[in-house]
Amino acid sequence: MKLTTKQLTLCGILTTLALALSVAENQIPLSLAIPIPGIKLGLANIVTVFALYVLGPGQAMLILLARCLLGAVFAGNMNALLFSLLGGVTAMIVMILLSRSRRLSVYGVSIGGAAAHNCGQIAAAVLTLGNTAPLYYLPVLLGVALFTGALTGTVAACLFRALAHTDLMKG
Amino acid sequence: MRSSPELRPNFWDALVALAVVLLAAGCGFAVWGGQNGAAALTAVVSVDGVETERLVLADTGETERTVESNGYTLCLRLTETEVWVEEADCPTQDCVHTGHISRSGQSIVCLPARVIITLEGGQPVDNGVDIVVG
Repeated sequence: MKLTTKQLTLCGILTTLALALSVAENQIPLSLAIPIPGIKLGLANIVTVFALYVLGPGQAMLILLARCLLGAVFAGNMNALLFSLLGGVTAMIVMILLSRSRRLSVYGVSIGGAAAHNCGQIAAAVLTLGNTAPLYYLPVLLGVALFTGALTGTVAACLFRALAHTDLMKG
Repeated sequence: MRSSPELRPNFWDALVALAVVLLAAGCGFAVWGGQNGAAALTAVVSVDGVETERLVLADTGETERTVESNGYTLCLRLTETEVWVEEADCPTQDCVHTGHISRSGQSIVCLPARVIITLEGGQPVDNGVDIVVG
């Protein structure tokens, strides 16, 4: 994959932003309200949706992989790498496919991505534990994904509107 | 910009949302439905995917169990009707935050310690669904 300097810079900034959002959302104790492992707002998904439309699937995937790897290194928890990779890559693939449909808006793509992320993480939990008990959480996680997906979709839509007339969107 | 996305939610987005709801409902039916109501309420403790202990709540009464796994220690408390993790030294504390479980099919999962406590058997679940959203 050949990247222009502008694209490479943008990839770097977006990776940083995704990592910062992941750290920031850890401060929001959503898991206290709904005590389920793996529950979160998925703010980093805003970056993925943005990159998918602005930079295309290839670079969006690069940003995602960099985010998962660096996130696991920063957290010092390599066990979490499998979870974030399986969740992230599943979400990415579903969003790439959904975004190909010209009829879907960022909301639909974002909700699909959030749901796929949960499915991927539960799959990782089932694989790690060798037990199907984590499936018990999936229905609730999917219900929550509707709201978190709509939330990140809203933020992404605001972002696209705000940046519609900048060079960034024409690059 | 590769492609300018639609920025307003439309009918097709509702279809995606509906698909997620159906998936959640189908999955919920699969994991919460069809519980076996014959046996007594039993707490099944699994460590690293291997079942280590089966405790019939009515027989054991109020008791404590310590589960050590993967370098972490979980302090498990059982009564005749419910189970909870009193204390754990795992970094996430999800198992402690899960709180008390008392119905067949419910479980407490500690990912760092790779411990699962599941309730099996007991009375048929009268309302297996916790919340209905959407």
